[in-house]
Amino acid sequence: MDVIEVKNLCKSYGQLKAVDHISFSVKKGEFFGLLGPNGAGKSTTINMLTGLLEKDSGHISLLGKDPVTDWEYVKNRMNVATAYYPLTEVLTIRQNLRVYGRMYDIPKREQKIDEMLKQFELNDLQHHRVITLSSGERTRVALCKGLLNDPELLFLDECTVGLDPDIAEKTRRILKEYQRERHATFLFTSHYMHEVEELCGRIAFMNKGKILKIDTAHNLKKLITKMTVSLGIKEGKGALLKEFLVAEGVEVIFAENNALIFEVPSRGEKVYKIMNKIFKKGFKLSDLHIQRPTLDDLFIAVARGKK
Amino acid sequence: MKWHRVKALLLKCYYLTINSPDRLCDMFYWPLIDLFVWGFASFYIKDISDVNVLSALLGGIILWVFVWRSSQDIAVYVLEDFWGKNLYHLFSSPVRFSEHLLSIITFSFFRALASGTFMALIASLLYSFSLFSFSPLVVGLSIFLLSLFGWTTGLFVTALIFRFGQRIQVLAWSTVWIIQPFSCVFYPLSSLPVWGQWIARLLPTTYIFENMRAMMLGHPVDYSTYAISFIISMIFFGIGLVVVHWSFQSARKMGMLEKGD
Ligand SMILES: Nc1ncnc2c1ncn2[C@@H]1O[C@H](COP(=O)(O)OP(=O)(O)O)[C@@H](O)[C@H]1O
Ligand SMILES: [Mg+2]
Repeated sequence: MDVIEVKNLCKSYGQLKAVDHISFSVKKGEFFGLLGPNGAGKSTTINMLTGLLEKDSGHISLLGKDPVTDWEYVKNRMNVATAYYPLTEVLTIRQNLRVYGRMYDIPKREQKIDEMLKQFELNDLQHHRVITLSSGERTRVALCKGLLNDPELLFLDECTVGLDPDIAEKTRRILKEYQRERHATFLFTSHYMHEVEELCGRIAFMNKGKILKIDTAHNLKKLITKMTVSLGIKEGKGALLKEFLVAEGVEVIFAENNALIFEVPSRGEKVYKIMNKIFKKGFKLSDLHIQRPTLDDLFIAVARGKK
Repeated sequence: MKWHRVKALLLKCYYLTINSPDRLCDMFYWPLIDLFVWGFASFYIKDISDVNVLSALLGGIILWVFVWRSSQDIAVYVLEDFWGKNLYHLFSSPVRFSEHLLSIITFSFFRALASGTFMALIASLLYSFSLFSFSPLVVGLSIFLLSLFGWTTGLFVTALIFRFGQRIQVLAWSTVWIIQPFSCVFYPLSSLPVWGQWIARLLPTTYIFENMRAMMLGHPVDYSTYAISFIISMIFFGIGLVVVHWSFQSARKMGMLEKGD
């Protein structure tokens, strides 16, 4: 069953097409990523799915139901967390969680809240007001609330912003464990590529309201057709090497006496062939670094308007 | 409409209140100041003119608190979610807008009741004034009708908040005071200019305070005016519900709930 099914979803603000005819579907138990530069329309998409925002047109189905007519069924089984909106600021963490515990009619509320606080290491802070917390702590509070009702479907809109690497790692572990144990479905956005790569099975790459491509991180990276090779050169022969490479039809980006950077297609054997020729010609290297394409490269390329 | 969600929202209002000195001041501090000022003013008036205005003024102040609190509390507790950046989580939860409004209206009613009781108590201690020199039925009817109108103005302000955001928040505190001069809280309808009287007749509040003064002068209770007040209130309340619903829908279209602004 598709837990999320979106067809031709659109949302405009005046002239601006924030989300422009996007379609995708997410299977039960899938960790699905929405990736794209600022303003791509990721949050707008999520907000339409959670019911915060009314769509202009298109079709949405969640957990096999129409979220408008089966509002209660759907909303009780989903939740959302983001780092950008903390819970009510003048309430303490525990007070906030109590309110949402009742809202979702959670059995054994206090016990459940204790569990969540422990899991996110917020025990000692539970009687502090949200407004006094650091951004990383607020993020964890939002995640606590997000998992409070044991959702089958969880929307995470940049929910790991501001976490230190240790807590971020723990959080990813908690999320993965949760997904595995409950077979829960996630729709996830983040600016941290490594996180998206680690967590998400498939990724929809968005830009300017459109989905450019939906695929695994591995396949998406193939969209970046070039990789970068950086060399440290002995005996100050940088200029010579540059001449040689240009003659071979290689694109040299940077060259000086002791260092040189060039680009080669990321697929095929071009890089090995070139390196072989360089060695055969007798150039001696002091350093070698091959930068394979990352999601970051794709991200930057799309954000700067390249293909 | 689900009771457990209304309870959750009532709990949130309760926490907002006990966590915030502002919300506690609303209930006791300002009403108390009002009582002092008007009580002492009426002593002075009595000294210089032999007219006893104490009862009329105190009755007016205590009853007015139900309009004041109901109206302002609804707007302020709606604004709390804007200030606290809580709209995002609130409206992505299963809560319905009607449950949100019902909880706030209920909570504001109990706050008004607490304020009113507190004032009645102080008035009887300081000035030996008893609200229950009127029949309990009249007091109950007045409280209900005045609260109903307070909720109505609260709904209109709420509608404006969801339409225009926090920048119009000053209306939360000011709206009810535009209505007060025309509600004949402290003086009879006849003391208003003619155009003012027309406005006053359109307000359900006027009838309550007119009746109160009539009873103080020993006239019998005129229940028909309560009926008029009720009908006018219900018309305004109905319109208020429609407008606030429409405004909430427009907030969902414009993305107000995600931005909270
Ligand atoms: N409530 C709103 N009113 C007007 N424009 C908006 C609103 N919300 C988002 N936008 C615009 O829609 C576009 C998409 O925004 P968003 O979905 O938040 O992007 P992302 O989450 O991918 O960074 C942006 O250009 C943003 O400025
Ligand atoms: Mg966003």
